[in-house]
Amino acid sequence: MSFKDQIAFVRQHIRRNRLRVFMTVLAATMGTAFLIVLASVGFGLQKTIKDDILSNQMVTQIEVYSEDMTDAKTDAMKKIGHVETVVHRKQLVPMALGELEGHTGSMNTYFTDFKDEQASGFKLAEGRFPEKPGEVIVGSQFAEQLIDESKELEEGEELATYEGKVIGQTFTFSFEGRNDENASAAWPFTIVGVKEAPGKDWAFDGYLYLDESFMEEMESAYAAASKDRSEEEDMPFTNSQVNVYADDLANVKSITQALKDDGYAVYSVSEEIEQIDVFFLALKAGLIFVGTIAILIASIGIFNTMTMAVTERTREIGVMKALGAGPKLIQRLFLMESAWIGLVGTVIAVVISYGVSFAANAVLPIIVDAALGGETGDSFEVTFSVIPWQLVLIASAISLTVAMISGWRPARKATKTDVIGALRHEL
Amino acid sequence: MIEVKGLSHSFRVGKKGKETEVPVLKELSLKAKDGEIVSIVGRSGSGKSTLLHILAGFLQPDTGRVLVDGTDLTAMNEAQRAAFRLERFGFVFQNFQLMPGLTAFENIELPLTLKGVPAPERKRKVEELMESTGLAAIRGHYPNELSGGQQQRVGIARALITEPPVIFADEPTGSLDSETEQDILNLILSLNRKYGITFVIITHDDEVAAIANRQYRMHDGELTEGGLRHVV
Repeated sequence: MSFKDQIAFVRQHIRRNRLRVFMTVLAATMGTAFLIVLASVGFGLQKTIKDDILSNQMVTQIEVYSEDMTDAKTDAMKKIGHVETVVHRKQLVPMALGELEGHTGSMNTYFTDFKDEQASGFKLAEGRFPEKPGEVIVGSQFAEQLIDESKELEEGEELATYEGKVIGQTFTFSFEGRNDENASAAWPFTIVGVKEAPGKDWAFDGYLYLDESFMEEMESAYAAASKDRSEEEDMPFTNSQVNVYADDLANVKSITQALKDDGYAVYSVSEEIEQIDVFFLALKAGLIFVGTIAILIASIGIFNTMTMAVTERTREIGVMKALGAGPKLIQRLFLMESAWIGLVGTVIAVVISYGVSFAANAVLPIIVDAALGGETGDSFEVTFSVIPWQLVLIASAISLTVAMISGWRPARKATKTDVIGALRHEL
Repeated sequence: MIEVKGLSHSFRVGKKGKETEVPVLKELSLKAKDGEIVSIVGRSGSGKSTLLHILAGFLQPDTGRVLVDGTDLTAMNEAQRAAFRLERFGFVFQNFQLMPGLTAFENIELPLTLKGVPAPERKRKVEELMESTGLAAIRGHYPNELSGGQQQRVGIARALITEPPVIFADEPTGSLDSETEQDILNLILSLNRKYGITFVIITHDDEVAAIANRQYRMHDGELTEGGLRHVV
């Protein structure tokens, strides 16, 4: 019997028992949809947490810590395979001061290479990168730390910060020597660019970004201003902050390992994500297990339907066997029927699951927001349910396997039907 | 040619553990030459149906052999016997045994479908046969829409469709009135003459048995050859 004829035969039987098959398909659909939607919550929460972590930090960024970082070392890091760039920022240790139109404030200052910064994804909200000596870039909240200290505050009045536009402005920069006397030197800097604001509202960026070419000159000035400093108070002029950027997320792990092997203390977001992935893998496996129980319950329906089908068709099975249908063919026809129930149930379940998932992601955040009195704010972005193709594949495999197993025993029973007894059936 | 040698079979009856053996067939021998109509006549419970079931390969005998053109049916497993039946045998049943969900056309087509014959060839063959057996008018009818005589004609057409050398008929007229019975017997005779098909007919009716070239009588599991009629 050709495969096409076998399918036609099965379809003809299904048509004759539409209602019963429909109810069985419904049970299979509900079981499979339950599994997918349940597990999709695990995938959704995992995505939410990962997205939250990734929004704080570039995913390809690897932070490297070392007490004696040098440019030679960072140059060596650039040679590690799949490293896109290495940004070596040197944070000024002495207290630095800035003064702009009567407003003063302490300056958190970085010396850096703007070419490397650009390659790592350093973006400006406005302006441009420095092209001439004396040009600098400031963080998005730079102005907020410049305070007019000459103004006396009334009770309850807030400090008067610089309100004007910073771009194009020139301010004076100086820092204190170790013996608490002002460094003799002061530099006029013109702000030509403002860095893009950090992704998170709570992150503060009031930094001053200087080209590293200034460093040597300033370090000499600092040494001159600190000539009377005691040895105990000796502190480095700068602290190094090194970030290595991988060309792709997939290579972060190998670069991290290479840096660890070189003796550096390393942190990358991929390590944190790995831990989260392990936790969610266990959670998703648990959810899939619970969902599988629902499919097993549905399988009882398939078993019943197929057993009924075999019992009802005993005489027909007998006739077919008498005419020359082999046991394997009989078994295949019944297995195909249970597989059909499983397949249709799975396909409908996948469609329904995507619908439920979409609806949950659209409606639940609104409900949660309303329940919390609208205090979640714009940054409240929770994905409740995600259905990746792997989940669809796993659920389909479980559903189809269970359907086939449920149909197996009735199909075996059909093959063992005694021809003589079957032909006497309904006599 | 069908040849049966030393065939014995018994059934076990009674509660499990306390079964007793009831012999149904006792050392039977039988012969059916190609193109013959062979009848096995006997009363109910004489064992004639059991003999047919063994001849058709539905049942394995305790002892003895069933040779069909030299091939021993009793040496085959279930799947091999099924394949052999599909290739070599046709069946006509007392209760017609048509598939209720299939039309007359589809019922006749069923053995060809099982054999894997392509659909266009099946259609051509079934249409030809329905035409020649006067069934063309009822091709789309379901069994419950047909009279007993029509159902049996469909049953005979189904047995014929694969052009088997042997057709087993188990009480082929048992469910029919006398007029329809005569029609069916005439049809069997004409098919036997036209195609040279060997018919093995099981019946309790002497009139039905009378159309056979070779007649056997079954009594308490024993078979006696009752005569050879030569058709002129």
